[in-house]
Amino acid sequence: MQHLDPDRLVLLALSEETEGPGESGHLNECAVCRHELDALRTVADLGAESEDLRDLPAPPEHIWRRVEDGISGETPAAAPLERSVRTRRTRSRWLTPVLAATAAAILAVAGTVTVDRFVRRAPAETVTARATLAPLPRVPGAAAGSVQVLSDGAMRIDVRNLPLTTGFHEVWLIDPDDPTKMVALGNLPDRPVTVLPVPPGIDMNRYRLVDVSDEPHDGDAAHSGRSLLRGTLTY
Amino acid sequence: MISDDELAERLRAGDEKALRTAYERHGAAVLYLAQRLLSNRADAEDVTQLTFVAAWAGRDTFDPQRGTMLAWLLGIARRKAIDRIRSAVRDDRVTATVRAQVAPPEEPERPERIVDRLVVADELGRLPAEQRRTLELAFFDDLTHPQIAAVTGLPLGTVKSHIRRGLANLRRRWEVDGAAFGSRSAGASRAL
Repeated sequence: MQHLDPDRLVLLALSEETEGPGESGHLNECAVCRHELDALRTVADLGAESEDLRDLPAPPEHIWRRVEDGISGETPAAAPLERSVRTRRTRSRWLTPVLAATAAAILAVAGTVTVDRFVRRAPAETVTARATLAPLPRVPGAAAGSVQVLSDGAMRIDVRNLPLTTGFHEVWLIDPDDPTKMVALGNLPDRPVTVLPVPPGIDMNRYRLVDVSDEPHDGDAAHSGRSLLRGTLTY
Repeated sequence: MISDDELAERLRAGDEKALRTAYERHGAAVLYLAQRLLSNRADAEDVTQLTFVAAWAGRDTFDPQRGTMLAWLLGIARRKAIDRIRSAVRDDRVTATVRAQVAPPEEPERPERIVDRLVVADELGRLPAEQRRTLELAFFDDLTHPQIAAVTGLPLGTVKSHIRRGLANLRRRWEVDGAAFGSRSAGASRAL
């Protein structure tokens, strides 16, 4: 069987000429030529439609600045972020004495609170760790929160002024030494104080970074990469 | 201009300047796709930002063997835009009864077609100048081969071979990168 000439197929694909009766007959019979012509026709149509795309305006600088903001934080995502990990480590070394001092102060306060609570409340309410949640760079400064880990393994989270979301807010525990390692604790219903159970066996010394993220309803259980609040648990 | 391979290598090595180059090179196409899919400038800008942030976080998943950087970025952008449409649809359900009164907008274009067009446009821009010029005259000005020969002063045989080779180049790129074949280029980065 004699296939159609490649130059001829090009002319037909560009609709520069129309099929002769013999050609139509062959195209009806021959899947190879039909496939060739279909592919060339699609590409020619796409090419003709691409005229408006030749001179797309340059992408705006303000979006680039937001991209820069987005990659400057320690975004927990599927891939390792060598850079941010390094930054974090440097910072945490620098912060260690400060954190130790803060922790000591908090322990002192927590001690007082504990005594208080033992007197007036059930022992389950003992606070074993806490964190103050601060907004990330792109998040409105009024957003804030605090976290208390109770001795019965529950975590009490108090948030305010979170930006509105079209999805939901989820709470994570992240290992700051390897931000790809994280545990989802649950989502925050629309009220100021929520108590979430911490899965038993979680090492809270390791997973000590509390993260509140904005998650889309996409059925994807992984972290969206959009963190709103963060804070480190101190004991 | 550095090649996609080189750019990918620098990106994987954690060079933020490579991301900037990718943005300069492909940001316009990503924004265009997002705008076509979302018909809302603010959402389209959000999706463009999310796309490049996700590309940075997932830079290890880009494999130049599987498709070009443009196709990879458009694949991410398409998923981010679709996520956004889905959550907007959920939010809108409450007000759906009110909106039902308003005439529905015209049938939106399939994202695959927009991606295909962006990929073909990009390849057209990369063709050797004469090949590109003859194809543009055929596509945009609807000129026949003899008319193109007359306009450009090229022999008819040369016009013919430019157009045949140019179309073959566009087709190869479309088959590698196009959304219709996108599972090859987009599959690995679903997690983004």
